[in-house]
Amino acid sequence: MSWHWREWATDPEQLRRLRLLASVPLFAGLNRRLLGRLLIKLFEKRYPAGETIFREGDPGKAVFIVLEGKISIIRAVDGAEKPLAVLGPGTYFGELALIDDQPRFAAARADEDTTLLILYKSHFDDLIEGQKALAVHVMENLLKTLAGYVRSEQARNALRAAKGTVTLAEPTAAERTRR
Amino acid sequence: MSAEPAAAPVPTPTRWFPPPPAIVWAIAIAIVAALAYIASDVVVLVIFSAALAYVISPLVRRLEALAIRHNLAVTTVYVSLFVVFAVTAALVVPRLRAEIVTLSSGTFKQQVDQSLDKLHREIIEEYPPLQQVLGDPETRNERLSTVFQQQTANLPNLLSHAVEIVIVIVLIPVFSYFLLRDSRRLLQLLMDRLPADEIETSVAVWCEIERIAGRYLRGLALEAIAIATIASTGLWLLGVNYPLFLGAFSGMANVIPYVGPFLSGTVVAMIAMIQFQSFAPLVKVMLLYLGIKFCDLTIIQTMTVGRSVHLHPILLVASLLIGGHAFGLIGMVVAVPIVTALQEVTRLLLDHRRRKAGIRMPRRAPSTPIQTYVC
Repeated sequence: MSWHWREWATDPEQLRRLRLLASVPLFAGLNRRLLGRLLIKLFEKRYPAGETIFREGDPGKAVFIVLEGKISIIRAVDGAEKPLAVLGPGTYFGELALIDDQPRFAAARADEDTTLLILYKSHFDDLIEGQKALAVHVMENLLKTLAGYVRSEQARNALRAAKGTVTLAEPTAAERTRR
Repeated sequence: MSAEPAAAPVPTPTRWFPPPPAIVWAIAIAIVAALAYIASDVVVLVIFSAALAYVISPLVRRLEALAIRHNLAVTTVYVSLFVVFAVTAALVVPRLRAEIVTLSSGTFKQQVDQSLDKLHREIIEEYPPLQQVLGDPETRNERLSTVFQQQTANLPNLLSHAVEIVIVIVLIPVFSYFLLRDSRRLLQLLMDRLPADEIETSVAVWCEIERIAGRYLRGLALEAIAIATIASTGLWLLGVNYPLFLGAFSGMANVIPYVGPFLSGTVVAMIAMIQFQSFAPLVKVMLLYLGIKFCDLTIIQTMTVGRSVHLHPILLVASLLIGGHAFGLIGMVVAVPIVTALQEVTRLLLDHRRRKAGIRMPRRAPSTPIQTYVC
């Protein structure tokens, strides 16, 4: 029976997380070394079903990555909660906190028992200070995401103008997938 | 038919109201502060262990980034550091010990006497009126001998503390090992207990404390090593005796802001004057230490401690004085990062509160409707 030192020395949970991070669109293009650097900066937090992660208007300071469970992004419209998106493992939300610390546009709530990985802006800033490659990749991915938002918003505005209505449009399937 | 006796009024149970959270927090903080004051020795030990764990933590994280198991990473780093420390000690300690033995031997005292005599004569030749102030060389030597005897008499007391020092030297790495090994578990426990509403601010506060304290302590250690190396090399080039010991002393003294560099420079200048029996090397040593300080301020500090400390000079000096008064030398070392961390945390909490308060205020509707779900 041979002794596999690599399996003995490595943490399977960390490996699983590394694979999950590699599949997150925000971190696309990062190599294993940079993903490892990123991984050790993440906090883990478990939320029971129904718990609010952040509320609309809260100051945004972190980006959240869904490790396990399901998250609803909701926004209050005329006093009623309107679900904007449902996110599962491998997706992320709150990414604009990496750019500025403006108030959250929508709220996030755990639909079931959920585990999130949290990347705080200060940690991210610390990380990109010494890792230019990481900064370039993440910023490029963020820009792509923002460009997607702008395009979809333009498309929705054009549709609204054509219909002559001013109602809150549902996010498209493509947008949900992107998130 | 007899009338039934009136039922005795049932006393309504007095309802217990819990005290307001502010009072509970105040009491808890007061108890912790009192315990810390009573067990200040243990607090100092824990502070040192935590500081060591902070200094070492980046190495552990480097290994963890490679998906190596946490416990294995911590153990590997500690064993490696122990080996490095043992090898360095085996190489440096005999030389350092020889320097200390020479410094504390009788020949050094004779050398001091001779040097002081010569300096004494130089001063009196240049400025004869100072003879009345300085007195005769014989009386000065008597005074010096008395001081030496007094200090030698204190040596047994000093040695009695040696056991405590050794215990602390052994305990600090052991404590720091367990702190680092269990840090993830402790952090996870804390994260799971935190209310979800406050998680972002709590994480922000934790990050800020970790960033400031970690960067400051790691920077301080690197700065001390850099200063010690430059000072040792400079003193060796100037031909001053005991360059290794004096360099190490300069590096360690540099940890204390303002006071440390002045203290080490003065000690080295005195030793150089005694060695060369002249005032001439004073200028060279002063220039060397000014050069080191210049390098420290312009290059070393910006690369090490750098942007982690943004304290107003008055606050910095006040924190040094209070830290020194409460916990001595260690208090002076840890006062600056603690006060800086407190300052940043307060700023962060006030910012959080201000933003929350601002959000409750009625806001003007944006001119163009924003209808994305970006959050």
